[in-house]
Amino acid sequence: MAANKGDITGGGAESFLALGPDSSVTVRYHPDFGPHNDLILLEAPDDAVLSDLLHGRVTIRGQHDEDAVLCTPSSTYAMKFVSTSNSVFLIPPGKPNLSDPQPNPLVSVLKLAPGNIELVQTAPRLDKLRSLLMQKLYKLDEEDEEDCSSEGLYTWHDLICSIQASNEELREGLRFLSAVEINGFWRMVHPKSVNMILTMVLTNSVLHDWSLDALVEEEVLSVLESDGYNSTIVKHCLETFGTKIENDNSKLWGFDKKRIAVHFAKQVLGSNGGKMRLEIFIEKWMRNVQKGMPFDLNMLEGEVLYETIGAETWIKAFSVADLPLAPDARFPVLFKERAKWAWKDLEPYVRNLRVPGMSSEGLLIKYTRRVQPTADVEPIFSAR
Amino acid sequence: MEIKVKCNCGAENCSEWAILELQGVVESQPSIANQIQGLEIGRLCCSSSSSQVNYTFTVGYHELSGTKVSLKKPLLVLKKNKQEEGSVSNNELDLEVIGIIRHKILFKNRPKAIISRPQVKDKKASD
Repeated sequence: MAANKGDITGGGAESFLALGPDSSVTVRYHPDFGPHNDLILLEAPDDAVLSDLLHGRVTIRGQHDEDAVLCTPSSTYAMKFVSTSNSVFLIPPGKPNLSDPQPNPLVSVLKLAPGNIELVQTAPRLDKLRSLLMQKLYKLDEEDEEDCSSEGLYTWHDLICSIQASNEELREGLRFLSAVEINGFWRMVHPKSVNMILTMVLTNSVLHDWSLDALVEEEVLSVLESDGYNSTIVKHCLETFGTKIENDNSKLWGFDKKRIAVHFAKQVLGSNGGKMRLEIFIEKWMRNVQKGMPFDLNMLEGEVLYETIGAETWIKAFSVADLPLAPDARFPVLFKERAKWAWKDLEPYVRNLRVPGMSSEGLLIKYTRRVQPTADVEPIFSAR
Repeated sequence: MEIKVKCNCGAENCSEWAILELQGVVESQPSIANQIQGLEIGRLCCSSSSSQVNYTFTVGYHELSGTKVSLKKPLLVLKKNKQEEGSVSNNELDLEVIGIIRHKILFKNRPKAIISRPQVKDKKASD
């Protein structure tokens, strides 16, 4: 045990708290009374956080230029120092170390606390995660390339030290980005590579007569591995586009038709900003999507916007997954895209906004101006 | 950067600290200046009347009355430790939970002046 700079026990907190009627104690300054700036008071907002703190499950995360946050396994809290004008005398436990015996019990105050840290639950700061993982997208043939440095590559531990989020929220953030762990590094996959693997799986499903509703994982992996595809990436394709089916014998995956239809819609339109006439889009989309797979425009909610240019309707790629997660960053992007939004168009783009302690109505009130000329007309939202 | 908040106590064994809280400031005689370590501040007495338990804190010739309060949100006492030389981690410091405060004795009433010969070591300044 490292030597302490001074004794911070021997305050007699037990006697202080046990003081009963018709008794008294003397209160004095502890022999080591002083500022003790290394002692901090932290308020536990609820029993869950208290339990996490007492069992060593809490960490503090952040870079030197950021405000530190406190993370339990599942939640993130901003730390605010709240000062007090009262005199708050801190009394440590333990019997005082006395050379001369005292007639009365003795309570010794060690320090005057200037205040305490309060914890306020906050949304995890995950926007940085995307910018980090975009530095080096995983491409299928990257092992052949000469660049072997690990610059721009992040392990789980690197992410924990850079991203202000709890472990659970970080994992959820990685799932949201469809990230995959390859050789110890968390990677987002280049869209071209995603498309190539998906196309291979779909082509092989026709060749081998696989049912897209019940793909056998082992079979898919072995066929694609023999074609030279990394099994981690193939499995990632199954996770991205499918849902695991509970089965005793083998692992089965059911492909989600909507996710596949959205994928091909994006292929046709190109990345954000790509637009074309609606009829042309529908025609190309039909050609891309596997025969027999259902598709309809409703599947593209939150992925595309429609514009009327003259007499024509145009469709444009605009994916909610590419937008900032923080409301104060997202709303400016939405209003830059379009100054006025009808609720039915806006809703898919604000649906996944989460701020602890604020409802979606509260978010709209804070960040938008709502105009509704008459009760039977749709309300219109614009920037505040 | 990640700083673990260590705790060796577990839920049951966390040392219980306490707080004595009052409004205002305790001042020492100018001649004592900062050499206050070990000096007496005052006497804390407990009495009960009807259903209530009351506390009286006598500082110099001031008498304060207060009650024991359970903290709805307990306070944890954290200690910042500078990393020792040659430690494995590259953080500069770590934090450890060394105690918990669940109760305090709070004096929020104006002090009463006792009309008797004061024990002049400390005097109390009220706000």
